[in-house]
Amino acid sequence: MPAALPESRPDLIRVENFSFHYGEKQAIFDIDMAIPEHRVTALIGPSGCGKSTLLRNMNRMNDLIDGVRHEGDIRLNGISLYDPSVEVISLRKRVGMVFQKYNPFAKSIYENVVFSLRVAGRSNRSELDESVERALKSAALWDEVKDRLHDSAFGLSGGQQQRLCIARAIANQPEILLMDEPCAALDPLATLKIEELITKLKSQYTIVIVTHNMEQATRCSDRTAFLYMGRLIEYGATVQIFNRPSHPETEAYITGRFS
Amino acid sequence: MPEISHSPDPKRFEVSRATLWFDRFMGWLIRFGGIGVIVAVFGIFYFVGKEVIPLFRSAQVEPAGGIIKAAAPAVLGVDEWGEMPFVYDGADKVLFADMKSGEAREELIPGLTGLGITAHSYDPVHQRVALGLDDGRVGSFLVNYERTFGDGSAPGMQTSITLEPWFTLEHGSGPVTAVSYGDSGAGRAIVAKRGSGADSTVSLLRLGMKRGLIGKGKLSLLEEADITAELDSEAMIVRASQNGEMALVAAQSGGIYYFLADSDGVSKRQTFAPFGDKPPRQMNFLFGGVSIIVTGPDGKQQQWSLFRKGGEGERLFGKTKEFPALAEGPVHFAASQRNRSFLTGSGRELSIRHSTSGSVRWEGAVDIDPVTAVLDAKGANFFVAAADGTTRRFAINDHHPEAGWRAFFSKVWYEGGDGPVYQWQSTGGSDDFEPKYSMVPLIFGSLKGTAYALLFSVPIALLSAVFSAAFLPLEIKRVVKPTMEIMSSLPSVVLGFLAGLWLAPILETRVPSVMMMVIFIPISALLLGYLWCRLPIGLRNRFASGSEWLIVLPFITLAGWLGWMLGPWIESWLFIYKDVASGKELADFRLWWPQAMGIPFEQRNSMVLGFMMGFAVIPVIFTIAEDSLSNVPKSLTAAAAALGANRWQVVWTVMLPVAASGIFSALMIGFGRAVGETMIMVMATGNTPITEWNLFSGMRTLSANIAVELPEAPVGSTHYRALFLGAVVLFAMTFVMNTIAELLRQRLRERNKLV
Repeated sequence: MPAALPESRPDLIRVENFSFHYGEKQAIFDIDMAIPEHRVTALIGPSGCGKSTLLRNMNRMNDLIDGVRHEGDIRLNGISLYDPSVEVISLRKRVGMVFQKYNPFAKSIYENVVFSLRVAGRSNRSELDESVERALKSAALWDEVKDRLHDSAFGLSGGQQQRLCIARAIANQPEILLMDEPCAALDPLATLKIEELITKLKSQYTIVIVTHNMEQATRCSDRTAFLYMGRLIEYGATVQIFNRPSHPETEAYITGRFS
Repeated sequence: MPEISHSPDPKRFEVSRATLWFDRFMGWLIRFGGIGVIVAVFGIFYFVGKEVIPLFRSAQVEPAGGIIKAAAPAVLGVDEWGEMPFVYDGADKVLFADMKSGEAREELIPGLTGLGITAHSYDPVHQRVALGLDDGRVGSFLVNYERTFGDGSAPGMQTSITLEPWFTLEHGSGPVTAVSYGDSGAGRAIVAKRGSGADSTVSLLRLGMKRGLIGKGKLSLLEEADITAELDSEAMIVRASQNGEMALVAAQSGGIYYFLADSDGVSKRQTFAPFGDKPPRQMNFLFGGVSIIVTGPDGKQQQWSLFRKGGEGERLFGKTKEFPALAEGPVHFAASQRNRSFLTGSGRELSIRHSTSGSVRWEGAVDIDPVTAVLDAKGANFFVAAADGTTRRFAINDHHPEAGWRAFFSKVWYEGGDGPVYQWQSTGGSDDFEPKYSMVPLIFGSLKGTAYALLFSVPIALLSAVFSAAFLPLEIKRVVKPTMEIMSSLPSVVLGFLAGLWLAPILETRVPSVMMMVIFIPISALLLGYLWCRLPIGLRNRFASGSEWLIVLPFITLAGWLGWMLGPWIESWLFIYKDVASGKELADFRLWWPQAMGIPFEQRNSMVLGFMMGFAVIPVIFTIAEDSLSNVPKSLTAAAAALGANRWQVVWTVMLPVAASGIFSALMIGFGRAVGETMIMVMATGNTPITEWNLFSGMRTLSANIAVELPEAPVGSTHYRALFLGAVVLFAMTFVMNTIAELLRQRLRERNKLV
């Protein structure tokens, strides 16, 4: 696959000796990695390898679970996410998230998109209108829904709902977009649209994506990390990981010998 | 062509006989259970309906045979059972007619032979015939009935006639032209008119028993008062009340004069003119002797009762009801001796009317021209006699004359009251008590009790459900939820006992403390929340999210304690009661409240009830609301959190809309629990059927009313059936509420559906 090596970019997120426990069970063992800005970084690995856990720690979504603890650190722009002075609410405003299963609220399309602005206390009508249009255009959904912004979000197809969730996540213009298997519940056509969208969005956002789909990782990510049993096995440019994996486990996984 | 094999299914595909048998058995069992439930529900409806429907039936009257032929009747009377009416001929003969055998027997009263009897009247209470003579004497004879039980034969009836002493009127001259006799056992009164035209006189005689040394006293005249001077024209109708303490005289001028004849002597108390300057065509006392029925020249019938206007002063007559008009001609009237019904009419058209509800129970025509009519004491028969002596019996089937839509659901002017009211008072101290069966105070009580219970428990239950579902860490939630569920299993009789005997006496003296706590606790919580937000983030992050309650709890407790302690101080500052008699000032909320607000303060009040009902209702609402909040998909709450919503915003914008239908159900089940709750209501509310929203007074709920009164209501009586009607009303209330709630809930769910 002759792809040009991406020019190097400064690191935005640094994961430093990070371990994570769900009660007695340790899910992540001592991971160290740096995620560059304005790139798509894919986390791959078999089920239960800790990739989603790692992703969900990047906006401290795991705080919502009882009985968790961590060691090590994750830094955003050099500031620890776990610093006592960090307010988790504002952290999540900077780090948007798209989930595996599309989960729009039982509200109109419009209200779904402006949710993050509303909870941030912004209610200026023209500002909201503007961000709805911008977010929906960025999510390539504007043309499909512009005439029914005030209809229920449940009237959209699955792929449209997931793009709505992406629009919702970027409406307040976060720096980072975390995507946890965003195409897992979608058909191939919808998946294609989301992948195109991801490629388009990386000029504005730093994207971290968890995926089970090897082709997806090769198609839309710049860097790939392979996790196995809670450990980071290999991390590098996507081209390199998929063409010349240096670890036998990586090779076994990407060639489909286990999953 | 391939051959089709007909070999039997292999053994391994066969269903075992035991499985088939069990399947069939369970099928029948489930069918039986389901049909049984339906039958049971309809059975309950049938039973309740059977008890309630007779309340709304009107009276049935049919001829009951027994035609007697007698001489021209002067007085028609009857025994308590309606078996042997008598016809007095106005001279010295009484004809007894046995309704069972059809035999008639004439009895001569020797003491009356040869007397010039010029006036007579009948008092159905004692079966007394009052008499007036042409020489100015007044007296009476009593017809006594006595049941006899022969050896094995059917019970018979023995009759005897007692002639009472005569009294000669001192005032006036000429024959006695009208007489009326009142007898309460202790005191008696006779009112008699002598002569006619402008010269006629009216005397009121007070009689008493002079107690002898041995045995019964002798009836003697205490006083004869000439009341002619009080009247402005000739007396037309004279009536002595059954208690022998009152006399009413209707004069030609249209005025009715009310005289009191008690131990202080005879005095005129009131003059009233129901029909302007026309005298009434008829005037009679009703059972109980505090109301009269008068018929005007145009046939309009009115009821006038004794009551205190504005609740003060002397009891005087005032118009309380109007009845449909009667036709022209002489008015027949017979009052029931059992309740407030009376038989009235003119010509052949008769009707049975009930004074309490002002309703006509029955209307119909008889086939003779009656000149006099009488009701038996049981209210089971009435008799009419025609001028030629034909007397007929009619059986009345009217078990619940005091019932009806108007008696249950609208304002009724009861005897003694100064206006129409909603009132429930099913039993009283005396036989002539007028039962009051308004459902309205009970419906009001149920709504009041429910309202105060929900006012206290809904905010607490919902806020704690939200707190538990969205804020509390799992370990604590695991303790809290089962505790709440145990709370809901506390028997309500225990809660009622605690409310009535422990909480009520404490809160009675501590109302200002409770008020202070109600103010202090929310304010301190809000203040603490504000201060918490002002704290630097570094300090706040030291506390694990969800364990903030550890800080809140001591502050709230302190605020509550402070409120409790400050109560008496506030009381001595704000709630000063001034004793009217001595002018002394006293700091006591219990006394201050009635003085300042004009409404009573009771120990067992709605506040106590609200607190204790909270114990019954909070767990119900909490459990269901908490479940529905906890069942909001994590994907939604996570999405909201990931978009930068704080915990409260997650609750408000995502959890509450999704859980709304479940929370609504929780409220409805809480409502159902509160409205149907019985034991706490019985024990903690004082059970007074009042209609006021006063926080410091009690109430009587429909359910408590049934629990308290059903054991003492005779089966089949109006009271008994009215209690069942209360149950139907309760059912209807909850049914309507639940139906509305279910429709709303469906709409809520439709709007927040998660597809």
